[in-house]
Amino acid sequence: MLYVVLVFLVVSFFLYVLLGGADFGAGIVELFSSKDNQKPIKKTVYEVMGPVWEANHIWIIIMIVILWIGFPMTYNIVVVYLHIPLTLVLLGITLRGAAFIFRHYDAVKGQSSQKLYDNLFRISCLITPIFLGMTFGALVTGDIMLLEDHPGIGFYDAYVHPWLQLFPILIGCFYATLCTFLAAVFLIGEVSDAQREMYIRKGKVAVIAVVVTGFLVLITGFAQGRDFVLDFVRDPFAVCSVVSSAILLYPLWRAIRFGRVERCRFFAGLQVALILFAAAITHFPKVIATTTGKLDFMQNTAPDSVMTVLGWSLIVGGLLIIPGFLHLLKSFHMIKILEKE
Amino acid sequence: MDNLDAARLQMAFTLMFHIVFACIGMVMPFFMVVSHYKWLKTRDPVYLTLTKAWQKGVAIFFVTGAVSGTALSFELGLLWPEFMKHAGPIIGMPFSLEGAAFFVEALAIGFYLYGWNKINERFHWITGVIIGVSGVASGILVVSANGWMNAPSGFDYVDGKFLNVDPVAAFLNDAWFSQALHMTLAAFASTGFAVAGIHAWQVYKKRNPELHAKAFRIAITFGGIAALLQPISGDISAKDVAKRQPVKLAAMEAHFETQKGAPLFIGGIVDEEKKTVTHKIEIPKALSFLAFGDFDAEVKGLNDFPKDELPPIAIPHYAFQVMVGMGMVMALSAIVYFISIRKKKWREKRSFWLLFALLAPTGYIALEAGWIVTEVGRQPWIIHKIMRTKDAVTPMPGMIYSFYFYLMLYTILTLTVIWLMRRQIKALNEKLD
Repeated sequence: MLYVVLVFLVVSFFLYVLLGGADFGAGIVELFSSKDNQKPIKKTVYEVMGPVWEANHIWIIIMIVILWIGFPMTYNIVVVYLHIPLTLVLLGITLRGAAFIFRHYDAVKGQSSQKLYDNLFRISCLITPIFLGMTFGALVTGDIMLLEDHPGIGFYDAYVHPWLQLFPILIGCFYATLCTFLAAVFLIGEVSDAQREMYIRKGKVAVIAVVVTGFLVLITGFAQGRDFVLDFVRDPFAVCSVVSSAILLYPLWRAIRFGRVERCRFFAGLQVALILFAAAITHFPKVIATTTGKLDFMQNTAPDSVMTVLGWSLIVGGLLIIPGFLHLLKSFHMIKILEKE
Repeated sequence: MDNLDAARLQMAFTLMFHIVFACIGMVMPFFMVVSHYKWLKTRDPVYLTLTKAWQKGVAIFFVTGAVSGTALSFELGLLWPEFMKHAGPIIGMPFSLEGAAFFVEALAIGFYLYGWNKINERFHWITGVIIGVSGVASGILVVSANGWMNAPSGFDYVDGKFLNVDPVAAFLNDAWFSQALHMTLAAFASTGFAVAGIHAWQVYKKRNPELHAKAFRIAITFGGIAALLQPISGDISAKDVAKRQPVKLAAMEAHFETQKGAPLFIGGIVDEEKKTVTHKIEIPKALSFLAFGDFDAEVKGLNDFPKDELPPIAIPHYAFQVMVGMGMVMALSAIVYFISIRKKKWREKRSFWLLFALLAPTGYIALEAGWIVTEVGRQPWIIHKIMRTKDAVTPMPGMIYSFYFYLMLYTILTLTVIWLMRRQIKALNEKLD
């Protein structure tokens, strides 16, 4: 059952990072657009993300719940030592969701109130993935100091330093660029030809940003001698994944040129998934690195009785949710795409 | 203020918000689908307008409920890491099922909000029903986790370790049924009265009385029935608490001396130092009867419990009085409404509408008071008789700043939502004029 639970955890992690990431990315695309473009983008984002964004964000709740039930030790370290960045992620998620609903459901479409909601939405779309990335970055940086290993350490060393430094910040920026890339490619399929060119341009800029920030992460990791980066480049699986992700840019480009909407979404999703896979596989199962060693994810699990019940709950829940989720996607997306082609 | 108190305040504060948002999100979909059903049956455009107006409310409250719920799923760990380390796996089952129910709700809401004129009419209506049913299901499921904190089960506690964990037994804990029943009825009663009150105020102000009277009728029917059933559920809860957590019952009633044929105190001022209650109304033998169904039963008083296991007394006592008082007012006004179905003349009087407009907040006041009773009454334990709240709190210092931060965020969100609702109603009235 441990593996069933693990599959659900990994799947919800990937889905959150991809789908939630595309949601954040849509706001980032909006943020970095000219005033004239922002209006049509806002409309498209509403039409495309509106029906699904709530569902997209539930994956993070599922992830958290699986973590605390099945992997309480890992969860404990994350919530104690990364309290502050997680709170900031939470702030971002809250403001983003609230601003999205406010700007579309406010009965009076006032100029100034709409401007406020728009700015709130766009900025929280940018900062949330950065803090999410920083949280992940902090876990792999290796600077988490456990209180039991270092009695009497100060507030800064215990709760701030692990995440507020160059390496995790770069990882955060890297994730934000991935989100932008996902959103740009996703939105290409939702608009008429005139606007399509704009999203293609944005997609190109995003690819460049991904490559640049990715390199910065690697270089900084090397310079600082971070285990994560050193192991990463030595791991054949990780390197292969990243290389294949880069190679996939070519078929992606062709798919976009030929207007194959579903195919280009698939490629873009696969590319990001490969990068994530590379990042996750490097140290798995020793995901959390502290100053005194690495915590083994698979050896600090809940008792078997808990895992069995959790596994079955997830299977039953999954059977309820997945058909509905697919039907939702079909009702609002795929049909539209089929109409176009 | 020390770290523990700051963390407790933050938790209390966010829960107080979440409970209101979540209750509205659970119950309003039912009003919406009733109105929607009437539109499909009668094709009276007033019902369509009303359905769409309520739908916006559902959307706004679903999101605020969802984000405040996401916040709580973070906060449980952020504030109480020691509790979650041990309790997380044991009470995981209701949380994972709640996650599933919540997911179904989010999917249904996607269909409903965006499905007008796009999907089959009947399927569209059914997705509305699913929103409500899955919302109530998640409420019932999550209360099981709270029930477990009051009635821990499904594990053996040996030398500070939780062994032989049985998540199903923990899920089906003794407190779940009475708490879930009481909470679900409270959600319907409070939201029913609040929504009815808002529409009653519009009728009182003579703004589109036709639509608002229809809206009022739907909301008060739900709220009224729930308010009439609530005293029965309250009795079940009281007897349950008397059996399982006698110290909580004693605190609720500010009952200091163990005695047979114990009297019930209504109101009164509690002096925790002197262990007395002054200025109270005393009903002889009533407490024994309410707690055990026997006028001469013995009710254990606070003085006979170990000192370090006593909860605060004044807060649960006052909160309990407020809850019962509000509940009584609501049940009586529900009777007034149901009589008015026969006596139509009552509804022509403006005072009828003013009465229900004034009653709008009563349900939420009772709801919050009820949660204060059960949560403060459980102290000093986070898991009854197993783990103290002070041993569960995060080691990170400076929680007071975290509290201020959440206080600010939630206050702004609430004010915005209230402001949006007012704009919503105003826009609706202008559209109809």
